[in-house]
This record gives sequence, structure tokens and C-alpha cells, in this order.
Amino acid sequence: MNLPTNIAFHLVDDNDIDIAVNTKLLQLSQISDNIHIYNNAPSFLASLKKDSSNFQTSYQIVLMDIMMPVMSGYDCLDELLKPEYSSFSKLKVFMLSSSIDRNDIRKAESYLIVQKVLEKPLDVYLLKKFLEDIFE
Amino acid sequence: MTDRIRILYLDDEEQNLFSFQALFRREYEVFTTSSVQEAIGYLNREEVAIIFSDQKMPDISGVEFFESIIHQFPDPVRILITGYADMEAVIDSINRGQVYRYVTKPWDVNELKICVENALEKYYRAAEIKTKNKELEKANAELERFIYSASHDLRAPVASIQGVLQVAKMEVTDPKAIGYFEMIEKSTHSLNEFIGNIIHYYQNTRDDEMIKKIDLNELIEESIKKCQAFSHCEKIIFKTEISQSTDFVADDQRLRMVLNNIVNNAVKFRDESKNEQLVSIQVISNQDKAKFVISDNGLAITQDKLPLIFDMVDESGSNTASSGIGLYIAREALKKLNGNISVTSNIDEGSRFVFEVPNKS
Repeated sequence: MNLPTNIAFHLVDDNDIDIAVNTKLLQLSQISDNIHIYNNAPSFLASLKKDSSNFQTSYQIVLMDIMMPVMSGYDCLDELLKPEYSSFSKLKVFMLSSSIDRNDIRKAESYLIVQKVLEKPLDVYLLKKFLEDIFE
Repeated sequence: MTDRIRILYLDDEEQNLFSFQALFRREYEVFTTSSVQEAIGYLNREEVAIIFSDQKMPDISGVEFFESIIHQFPDPVRILITGYADMEAVIDSINRGQVYRYVTKPWDVNELKICVENALEKYYRAAEIKTKNKELEKANAELERFIYSASHDLRAPVASIQGVLQVAKMEVTDPKAIGYFEMIEKSTHSLNEFIGNIIHYYQNTRDDEMIKKIDLNELIEESIKKCQAFSHCEKIIFKTEISQSTDFVADDQRLRMVLNNIVNNAVKFRDESKNEQLVSIQVISNQDKAKFVISDNGLAITQDKLPLIFDMVDESGSNTASSGIGLYIAREALKKLNGNISVTSNIDEGSRFVFEVPNKS
């Protein structure tokens, strides 16, 4: 099936190279051109609050790195559980990490908004498959 | 004075307690009592090196006393004092009370002094071993933590490089550049595999497990796919045969570690000179166990190297990049799975790995 054309992606990662790579991969594989970049979790959270209307459509995908300084991916997920973010419960989050073990999988997938934990580098074909499952 | 060596002596005969005290009080801090309660109270308060106890007491025997305190106070050296050479009591004391020595009454003063000296030596040796063990455990835990964080820190930039290569190959059309990318990709893959092995080694040393029902088809397909993705092994024909009578349940991650490493090994040591390169994976699974047979017609392992291939040493006939610890990890993971592995190899037929994993259903 074809994916919706208006999926917005939010890349949250402190690693500039990985951000650049993932942006390119999403564009080149024609998944989306609507990509928003955040170099850390607090700026992503701030953007949710500031431009909350931007996040209301159902096609909002977050790709978030687990290991980030200041606020880790897990800490950010905990923040999102707070009542003030309750209107963003439709966000679909994929957690990214350069190395994942079963504790990461267990931990991350215990959050309702987390769809999957994906290993870096991003496998776009796999991501596409998961997105198709979500938007079927 | 807190650093004096403490000796406790329990006996119902006041006279014995008195002369014992007189004999040792200059050198040691001696606590004598005829009450078990008081003795235990003292043990709770102070660190005691040696405990003497009379065997024949009205309420409790010496052996029974030792037996009753052994779990709470395992460290002090225990010495039993008996009125006569009661063989039964002595045997009993060694087995039940874990007594170090026994002394007969009336005691010989010199003998008793030597006995105390020997007991002290034993006490300090045991304490030293305990300290050393603690240090070792600490060093070991630190090393593991280091391996863990180092391999994760190494993995992050490698993943970035792999990502860049992926994009570069999609965007760049210059065949020369693509050739270079492929070279970088090959080296990056070796590095990545090595880091992956270290991470697997670390994961295997930890005790947690994730027992679940295994889809044998998926398991094997996955491990073939993993090899095909990187090894440029288009010429290899994979044959899979599964015979399964009941559900197979095992630690999923460790099983994958084992199978991936063995299949990877078979692929890595393929014989490029052969037109027909084969890797066959056969599984027979019943309610007791699953038996995996992975055979290939690749480069044989020479007989002298065969016993060494599961060790953490160099590998046989290495003509391809490899970290050489893959088979070691496979065997270590199998140990945790309570399984076993064997290998045969000859020049005409290639190698054949057989491993068994108990079914936990």
C-alpha cells in the first residue's frame, strides 16, 4: 500500500550526522518531505507546547534517540506521560539507538506511544513496513 | 582497645574459664562465659577470631553450639574442647560444627598456645581470601561495565558511518566513488561485527534470560538473511529442513547468538573455488530438545585446529575478516542454555556443526 503523503516526521537526536542521514533517507525513499529537527529532547517538548496545533493531525511520527545528554529518550517519554502533554497521545514514537538489548526493548515498549525500538542506522524498509501497519 | 585479637571461650566449668583467661589475657582480649546467651551477645558485639567451646555442657553440647551459630557467624575459627577423646563427638564436630581442631582436657599449655597461633593464621588467611575475592568481584564488575559502555560508545559512530554510506550509495552515481564506498562499507562491517560480538559476549555473561516460544522457520530465515545482507555470498545455496513435533521454547536471544555465529562461520569460510557452495541447516525438535545440524562444503578445519576453534584464539585459515570470537560466544551462550556443541570437519566434505538446546516447554 501507499503511505499517506502528509506524514510529518520529528527527528529528536543530538547527533547531527544521524539527523542528516535520517532526513536524507526519508526524503530519498520518498516517505516524507515534512521533517522537523530537534537537537535535544527539551526543544522537542518546547515545540509541542508552543506549536501544539501543528501536532494535531494523526500522521505525526517521532524518531527519537535513546541516548541523549541532558534529557534521555526515556526521560522525554516520562515527560510525555504528564497531564500537560495529554493532548499529544496520538503521537507515534519510534525509539532509536545504536545498540539495543532486551532491556531497552522491554523498557521502551512499556510506553504506550512507543511503536518500536529500532537499531541505527535506520532501516527505511523496515520503518516503511511499520508505518504501513500503523496507517493501514 | 579495638584492634586486639578477640577469643571467646564457652565452658560450664568456672575453673577452666579462669585458667584460660589467665593464660591468654596478656596477649589477647579473652571473653569467657558459661552462658550461651552471653557468648552470642559477645559475638554480636565484637569481631571474634577464635571460639573455644567445651563439648560437655548441661544445656547444650559444644557441637550443637557451633552448629547453631555457623550461619550467623561463619568467620571465627572454631575449636572444640573435650574431656576425653570422644571419637564420635570429634567426627560430629567436624561435620556438623565445622570445627577446625579439638583439644583434650586437661590441656597442655604449650599445645594450646600453638593451637591458638595456628587458628589465628587460618583466620587471617580466610579473611585475606575474602578480601581478595571481594576485590576480584569488584574488578570484574568494573571491567564488565567498561566493556559495556566502551562497546556502546564504539557502536554509535559506526552506526553513523553506516547511515552515511547508505545515503551516499543512494545519491551518488559515480562508479568510482561507489567502489570506494563499498570498500569503506566492507571495513565498517568488520568493525561493526567485532563490536557486536563484544556486546553479545557481555550480554551472555549476564544472567537474565527471555524464554519464549521459538518460530524455528523465522529463526533460521533471519540468520540466513543476516549473512546475505553483508557477506556477498550470492553463490551460496542455503538448504533448510525443519522437523518439529511440539512447540520449542528457549532463550530466544542466546539461541540467535549461537545460530547466527555458526551460520556466519559457515558462510565466511565458504570455498570460493567451488561452483556449488552449500550451507545446509537442519533442525529436529521434540519435547526434550532441538538438535541443529549446520553443514557446509566450505574450507575444512584442519584436525589440529579442530579442538581449538571454540577458544578465544586465532581462527583456522583466516582469509576473510573476522574477529575470531564468534564461535567462542556461540559455545558460551550454549553453556548458559544448558546445551552442547560438537564439530567435525574434513577436506572432502567441509565442516559440520551439531548443537543441542533443551526444550523448556
